[in-house]
Amino acid sequence: MGLIGAELLSLARKAGAKSIAVVGTGKNVGKTVVVATICDALRAEGTPYGLTSIGRDGEAVDVADALAKPRLLLHPGAVIATARGVLPAAPAAQILDLSALASAAGEIVYAGVRQSAFYEIAGPPTASGIRASVRRLFELDAKFVVLDGAVDRIAALAGEQHAVVVAAGASNSGTPAEAVAEVRALVARLQIPKADPAAPALVIDGALAPSTVAKLIAAGETRQIVVRDPTQVAVRGKAFLALSTHLQLRCERPLVVIAVTVASIGRDRYFEPRAFLEEVASATGLPAFDSYAGKMVAA
Amino acid sequence: MKFEGFFDTATATALRFDWLVDELQPVTDYGRRIFAQLEPFAPGQHARAQEHAQRIATMSAALDASRIDAVREALRSAPDASGAIARASMGDALTDVNFLEIQRFCDVLARTGTLLGEHSPYTLPLCEEVHRTLERGRSAKFGFYLEDRFDSELAAARTHLRDAQAEFENARALLTARIAHSLDRADGGTAEFIIMRDELRGPIPQGVRVIREAPTYYLCELELDEAALQALRRRDDATGRVACLEETVRARLSDVIRTKSAELQEASSVLGAIDVLVAAARFTQRHACTVAQYALGDVFEFTGAHFLPLQSELERQDRTYTPISLKFCGAAVLTGPNMGGKSIGLKTCGFIAACAAFGLPVPATSAKVALFAHIAWLGVGIADDEEGLLSSFAREVVRLRDTLLIKRQPELLLIDEFARTTTPDEGRALLLALIARLRERQICALVATHLSGIASAAGVSHFAVRGLRSMPEGPPDADLHAALAQLAQLMDYTIELVTGDSKNAADAIFLAGLLGMDRPFIESAWQLLGGGEKQKH
Repeated sequence: MGLIGAELLSLARKAGAKSIAVVGTGKNVGKTVVVATICDALRAEGTPYGLTSIGRDGEAVDVADALAKPRLLLHPGAVIATARGVLPAAPAAQILDLSALASAAGEIVYAGVRQSAFYEIAGPPTASGIRASVRRLFELDAKFVVLDGAVDRIAALAGEQHAVVVAAGASNSGTPAEAVAEVRALVARLQIPKADPAAPALVIDGALAPSTVAKLIAAGETRQIVVRDPTQVAVRGKAFLALSTHLQLRCERPLVVIAVTVASIGRDRYFEPRAFLEEVASATGLPAFDSYAGKMVAA
Repeated sequence: MKFEGFFDTATATALRFDWLVDELQPVTDYGRRIFAQLEPFAPGQHARAQEHAQRIATMSAALDASRIDAVREALRSAPDASGAIARASMGDALTDVNFLEIQRFCDVLARTGTLLGEHSPYTLPLCEEVHRTLERGRSAKFGFYLEDRFDSELAAARTHLRDAQAEFENARALLTARIAHSLDRADGGTAEFIIMRDELRGPIPQGVRVIREAPTYYLCELELDEAALQALRRRDDATGRVACLEETVRARLSDVIRTKSAELQEASSVLGAIDVLVAAARFTQRHACTVAQYALGDVFEFTGAHFLPLQSELERQDRTYTPISLKFCGAAVLTGPNMGGKSIGLKTCGFIAACAAFGLPVPATSAKVALFAHIAWLGVGIADDEEGLLSSFAREVVRLRDTLLIKRQPELLLIDEFARTTTPDEGRALLLALIARLRERQICALVATHLSGIASAAGVSHFAVRGLRSMPEGPPDADLHAALAQLAQLMDYTIELVTGDSKNAADAIFLAGLLGMDRPFIESAWQLLGGGEKQKH
């Protein structure tokens, strides 16, 4: 275990990133498995690393459907930012710092893992909280930070030295084609390029709503449509792919998407792993990895 | 700071009480809890109010600004350990996060005690036994860990756990490597992994459990062999032993905290009081405040007074603020030109009275003030948030009616151009009737107006703002900021007692010109006024 994690780390470093955020097309698409794979690779190379999440991750059972979830086995050398309410009592962790960042499970605390144990990570729910937590993890001597992300809240990472990995899976789509279209649209949205300051532009303050998009298309808008970061585009899925053929979408703070991972096993369906992996790689133009099958497809 | 009953929201807004509250904000949760409950001293509590203000002034004089900042910086790092202390007092076992909170709280106690030295008017319990006990868990300078030194058996148990974990990982790694080899893979994959049917040469390898089958693959997981299961059993036993010892240490530490919880609770209260006091001392120092003399009766007297919210705003614009002085008993009338500072004169009275009522040093070089039970603002500056169907005059009258229904002595009324929106004759009559009512009720009041002859007709003191020193020169400037700066240069904001009957000067035509009205318009106004007024300046 860890070869795919090592590959993802290598891609992130080539992009000049010191952190990776793993975001998914939905729930149960293998994000935790990818996070664990990256953590194992960091441990294997002896890099002190930090770990946090946007919201909750690593819980033993899914809080939504009470089914078992993959857990995060962490080892000494890891520093985590998690809610005080989910820190295991034993074995004791080293409590490194407190914070005023609130979450549903209590304030966020920073802890160093001293004995190998399963941890649940419930990080800050806001973009500003995430930014503060990631900064603090680096101050606490992490050399690399792994973030279990949520697509809508990775705005905190835009324009900085963070890489994004997109996880896609069978859990949220009825057919492989649907899943491929979903991940293609998400990757395209997250990869909205940086605005050209020399070209004419219409700057959108806040979210780019579907109603605004419809008006702009109807008006035959040809200028760059500039949002602050890709998460400000409130048009998803196939609708996003359609709109991007009509409008020149640009952003002030782009994200760096480096790879896609797939989980062909869903809770109640599965896809043919090899075909799914290849189609995702082809549709997104990114390196694609299947942690379960131990396979990868280059871009 | 609670002001219900002392003044209403409209008066608080007019006097910029929000600004004062911001200036006095403590930095700890302990301080904020006390601060939220502060109430004005009641009439009759002169000695307590004076003692409170003196305590603040003494600290302000004893500590220089950098020391005050250092104390606040130390206080700012105090986590809110109240919940942990309360839980421990009830015999609950605390968590490691709680221990760090209490340790940092004790650090702040020690640091604050050192910084304040003998200048703290309160005895700050340092909770040394708790501090000493938790010191053994200090880790990486600012952190806390249930270190091995807390229990002689802990170190051995943890070593045993590490060994057992390593043994289990090795056993598992051997299995994983064997399976990876048999499947011709570079590594063992994840906890759950896929074997493609068409890549499988022979049967499913031993040690692999199939958990789901699909037409093209098997979803599998590792099946531990006997050696790995034994190692896992030993690892789990070791984990249990460490957990048990750690809980014992936590219970012991919690017990120390429980026995000292009263001292910790007292320390948190004192720390909060110090936080509130230091914030007030900082306010006193920054604004050169002095302790007011608390007077009985309706006397109101101050020199060199500042309405601080306006002063800070002016200073941000590199403009200077002119302090004012005033002395009156009972009711008095204040007249003066437009933009001459009548409203600010009234607000200064209210601001100083409010500071004194909360036992704070006041922003003046000297002050003598009653401990008012109620302050009310009437007139300009009241937000039109209610009574939408009423005219401005009607709103004013309704507010006056309601204010006069409140009978809490001593009372301070600040009346800014009452009845300005009706005819001058009727406005004058209403104003005189109001002053007569104020005198009858022995209400301390300052009444600002543009109407002439009010003070002499009402038989009360008359104060006036001196007004423009000279006529503005040059053409009207379209730049409002420059016009205001020029006006500030030309205006003499001094308030003086006026003896005899004098006609009020509004300087309104000069000001209209200065603020950009065109020359023909201004000339026309002068002519309509009678021409002679222009030369007066």
